[in-house]
Amino acid sequence: MKHKTLFVALTVLLLASMALASCKPATTPAPLAPTQPPAPTKAPEPTKAPEPTTAPEPTKEPTKAPEPTAAPTATEAPKYAGLKYETSNCDYGGTVKAIEALDEFTVKITFCNPDPAFLAKIAVPAFEILDADYLAAIGGDAAKLAENPVGTGPYILKEWVRGDHITFVPNPTYWGVPVANKTFILKWNAEAAARLLDLQAGNTSGIAEVSVDDVPTIQADPNLKLVPRPINNFIYLGINNQKPPFDNEKVRQAFAMAIDKQRIVDNFYSPGSVAATQFVPPGVKPGFTEGYKGTQYDPAKAKQMLQEANFDFNAEYVLSYAERTRPYFPQPTKIAQDVQAQLAEIGIKIKLDMQEWATYLPAARAGNLELFFLGWSEDYPDATNWYDVFLMGADKAFGAPYPDIMELIKKAAVLGDPVERQKLYDQVNVLYDQHVPCIVIAHGTTQLAFQASVQNVVLGPYNENFPQMQTADGTLVFSQDGDAVSLDCADETDGNSFRACLMLFDTLYDFKWGSSELEPSLAEKCVANSTATEWTCTLKKGIKFSNGASLDANDVVTSWDIAWDYSNPLRKGNTGVFNYWKSFFGPKALNQPPEPTPTP
Amino acid sequence: MTQFLIRRLLLTFPVMVGILLVTFIITRLVPGNPCYVMLGERATVAACDDFMHRYGLDKSIPEQFIRYVANLMKGDFGESIKDHRPITTIISERLPMTMELTILAMLFASTFGILLGVISALNRNSFIDTLTMIGANIGVSMPVFWLGLLLAYVFALMLKGTPFVLPPSSRLTAGMSLAPLTKTWGLGTPTGIGGFLLGLMSHSAILNGLLTANFALVGDALRHLILPAAAVGTISLAVIARMTRSSLLDVLGQDYIRTARAKGLIYRLIITRHALRNALIPIVTIIGIQTGGLLSGAVLTETIFSLPGVGSRMVEAILGRDYPVVQGFSVIIALIFVFTNLIVDFSYAFLDPRIRLE
Repeated sequence: MKHKTLFVALTVLLLASMALASCKPATTPAPLAPTQPPAPTKAPEPTKAPEPTTAPEPTKEPTKAPEPTAAPTATEAPKYAGLKYETSNCDYGGTVKAIEALDEFTVKITFCNPDPAFLAKIAVPAFEILDADYLAAIGGDAAKLAENPVGTGPYILKEWVRGDHITFVPNPTYWGVPVANKTFILKWNAEAAARLLDLQAGNTSGIAEVSVDDVPTIQADPNLKLVPRPINNFIYLGINNQKPPFDNEKVRQAFAMAIDKQRIVDNFYSPGSVAATQFVPPGVKPGFTEGYKGTQYDPAKAKQMLQEANFDFNAEYVLSYAERTRPYFPQPTKIAQDVQAQLAEIGIKIKLDMQEWATYLPAARAGNLELFFLGWSEDYPDATNWYDVFLMGADKAFGAPYPDIMELIKKAAVLGDPVERQKLYDQVNVLYDQHVPCIVIAHGTTQLAFQASVQNVVLGPYNENFPQMQTADGTLVFSQDGDAVSLDCADETDGNSFRACLMLFDTLYDFKWGSSELEPSLAEKCVANSTATEWTCTLKKGIKFSNGASLDANDVVTSWDIAWDYSNPLRKGNTGVFNYWKSFFGPKALNQPPEPTPTP
Repeated sequence: MTQFLIRRLLLTFPVMVGILLVTFIITRLVPGNPCYVMLGERATVAACDDFMHRYGLDKSIPEQFIRYVANLMKGDFGESIKDHRPITTIISERLPMTMELTILAMLFASTFGILLGVISALNRNSFIDTLTMIGANIGVSMPVFWLGLLLAYVFALMLKGTPFVLPPSSRLTAGMSLAPLTKTWGLGTPTGIGGFLLGLMSHSAILNGLLTANFALVGDALRHLILPAAAVGTISLAVIARMTRSSLLDVLGQDYIRTARAKGLIYRLIITRHALRNALIPIVTIIGIQTGGLLSGAVLTETIFSLPGVGSRMVEAILGRDYPVVQGFSVIIALIFVFTNLIVDFSYAFLDPRIRLE
């Protein structure tokens, strides 16, 4: 460019940018009241008769080759080749013994031990049901599934722009209540402040994980509404009993007594959060002992107990944590600093050690940290998702396990009678206060915010009723704090992926909108035998996948066997671990290769 | 010139090998592993052992490196541990957004930076000079995340309902999308370098809109880039303005400028033809460095404005120990820096004919 024209060019650029800025935005949705009343939330029964399907050829190894098991009932009806996968016993390290299709619409799963929490477990999105033929066609490839997910859910995928958004449109073959919006867009922004700005600007209909600091702003804005979501979770201060002086029970008890949990909740948590009184949150029943107060805050007594235990007040103890914001840990550094200050009040010197998550979690799991913060949000509403996960010695985070606690938990896990289970958990709760493997601090409430014009917002512990929420223009845009990882949720663990999967896929049972109560989804019903070692599920008839294929029992068997059995050729997934299956029905999966020898 | 170009291109190979080696070793030596990031609180020791074995991450570092280089020789950058997608696909998705942001930000920064620098230099020690330099210092000192949120607040909220309202986040308005050019043009699914380049073009909203005559898309993409470009370009603008001022002042004190003035040459011509051209060399260097930096990812800006660019994906990969993505992106970023510097070197010869690239 000639120099003499430099200034002219600059002026043109300036004018062009001003003209561009003055352009009317393409869409900035103005919040308007919807004209449609809220749709009913109960799904109607499908009425269409199922189409006959052909089961895929079995590809299993001889130890559990599929066998057609359905007995012929009519001379003209084609015989249904139901798949059956089984193992002779549970020596492989898991709890499942067999999964089989009894007929076209009946599935049976057999356990080596009673599993009264089975229904709650299979309501987790990781137990989504996929079309067996489609899985075979894509070879179980998670990347291909993400490109074209075929499910029975309310929506189908229109596009997934990685790092930006996912667009869903209604599934024309959906069997349930028709969706209320013609488009649902799931987008993300890691920053809570930016998400709020987007909401205030009218670019989104709702946002997830509202920052505690933003709550007053939203409450003061008449165009927005704050919707709390109840969820059972906790944050705990883990104590490794293999690290002196925390090998001394009296020291652990004194630490538990020295922390004012209520002060932490009042200062750093969203409204609705509560200070912990025992190991599990109040919503875990059986599990939570009504009226039991647990260890009370008493710093004077705590100091006295430490002196009696010859605690070294001159030494410095390291409290580790990761700056990873969660509903149960909304302000990690501030909470860690407050605990440090509270312990300093009775003369305990604490050094804070903030670590990166990728380093922190392995260090905690390996038992390398003496004091550390970790937390948990429950996967399904059952005490086994709390006691069994943390107090059965699955890793070395708390040091050596507590055999008396483990014995009670093991007994309680297989009991079907809630009253009898509660009696055992009452004992566990007392033993927890005695041994103090960790100090549960608080149960946080998470807050979501929406445009005031969005109608029929129902939030439950495990889901949001996005398909039934109503907006004026028929487009619902929701911003969460991260991208989905994949859409093969059988092999995912993060909530952002699950949120997307819930739009595309269904499970046999589901949680009712707004509650932790279970209701049949793809299943008509599931019933257990008297010992809860066999569960038989009858599928609803006439349900179709988005590719037009009909749902049948082999779809269920195949979807579950992929997670269960390493030898299944379709077992690809995203991480290949299928962690939820192992967590619920493991610890090991069938035909799992021996653990590798660590490289020196 | 050709000799210079060949020499510089050949020099990129040892740079690339060095980058690969250093990145590979550093990522492996940093504590932590991808399993715990991916599985989160639900990760168990047994599950992570299984995970590491599956990805060959339990092998020795030299063994992993040999395997990686062998695959690279075949043009295989590998797949992301996080989502099993080819690195080249991820790059083709992320790089265009970053390039668009960089181009717009540098246009903004260079235009106004040079303009303010020239005005400041020509009015040395005046009120305008002081005001401009105070502004430049504020621009340099202002954290980009704060400026970004401030701009978003002003243009998305305070000006809401006016013609000047601008979107505070995302690449495009909800509901608008980019159609792959391969699909638009009926090219099937090309692979190799052609597929990569088509991917790059498809994911560039502005280019895609121009090539498909979808001007609504172009306008929408530009509207979404104004605030981030202004936020990220402000620092560069301030740096360029300061550099322009000092460089121009230096040139204006030279004998040949005094001679030109003594000869009675028009002042405007002295500035544009003699002073500014000679003052441009350090300015171009700074613009090159800033451009390279922005092309390697404006992490904070991308995060605040929710833009799917190189920087945010790179940080995500580093925190998630997604080694193939870190390595692949490092190579691309290194290449970008090398070529940006090459262009800067060429521009020297254009600006000052006395400089011979040979």
